[in-house]
Amino acid sequence: MQCLDGAKRAEANPFLFTRIKARMERKANIWERTFSFISKPAIAVAIVVLVMAVNGWALLDNPGSGTNENVTADTNASELANEYNIVASVDNYDYENLTNE
Amino acid sequence: MINETELIEQLKQGDETAFKTIVEQWKDMVYNTILGIVQNETEAEDLAQDVFIKVFEKISTFKGDSKFSTWLYRIATTTALDHLRSKKRKKRFGFLQSLGGDGDEKESIPDFHHPGISLDNKERAAVLFKAIDGLPENQKTAYTLHKLEGLSYRDVSEVLNTTVSAVESLMSRANQNLRKQLEEYYNKHYK
Repeated sequence: MQCLDGAKRAEANPFLFTRIKARMERKANIWERTFSFISKPAIAVAIVVLVMAVNGWALLDNPGSGTNENVTADTNASELANEYNIVASVDNYDYENLTNE
Repeated sequence: MINETELIEQLKQGDETAFKTIVEQWKDMVYNTILGIVQNETEAEDLAQDVFIKVFEKISTFKGDSKFSTWLYRIATTTALDHLRSKKRKKRFGFLQSLGGDGDEKESIPDFHHPGISLDNKERAAVLFKAIDGLPENQKTAYTLHKLEGLSYRDVSEVLNTTVSAVESLMSRANQNLRKQLEEYYNKHYK
């Protein structure tokens, strides 16, 4: 049990910062490419038309759909999330103000 | 030399030099903590990168209510534990898939060697790390921070956002569990 006493701290890779930078650049590039693709006029117009078409179709196809169904769907979704302990995202942690449950 | 508060302020402005200084200053602390929890060097390096990327992205939310090192330890331990949870989920799924196969689950042997352990303690430490891996999350975190990072119970309590007596209790239970597991291991393999 005492064999960890006096253990030295493991040293990280000396090039850790370079790797972090490379990863951050890759991540930024993916977003840049995605945004530049979406912001092309033809693509943007096509997306808008598609969204409008889907909305129009939804309205025409089901004109009397009430809000009750949506409320039921939301309740079912949150019940399911609670049941399976689904946390929204790891990135939502508040590392400075942790609360113990 | 630039002080910690100034460094954090500069990082909040997106200063790359400040970010580099922070990475260089705290990388061993973050890596060692993660390595103690995940017990795999490649995974620990990837996760240490994740931690610093989170620091860069979330530094604006750091208000200085806690010490910067406490905040960093929290990100590191949470990231490591999240990784272990997701690994466990994948393993469980793999097990379900293998139910159709031969279902032959072999007992894993202690194979993690911490680079900071001296050669004469290497084998015993590997067995101890295997036992640490079997501890509940909060005991594992408290034990790793205290034993590998050398944090006092007070510092551990700040990282875990709990009281010193709660950490004492966690450490006592961790020691009991480890003793039990080690006894079982040595009885099985050396008697």
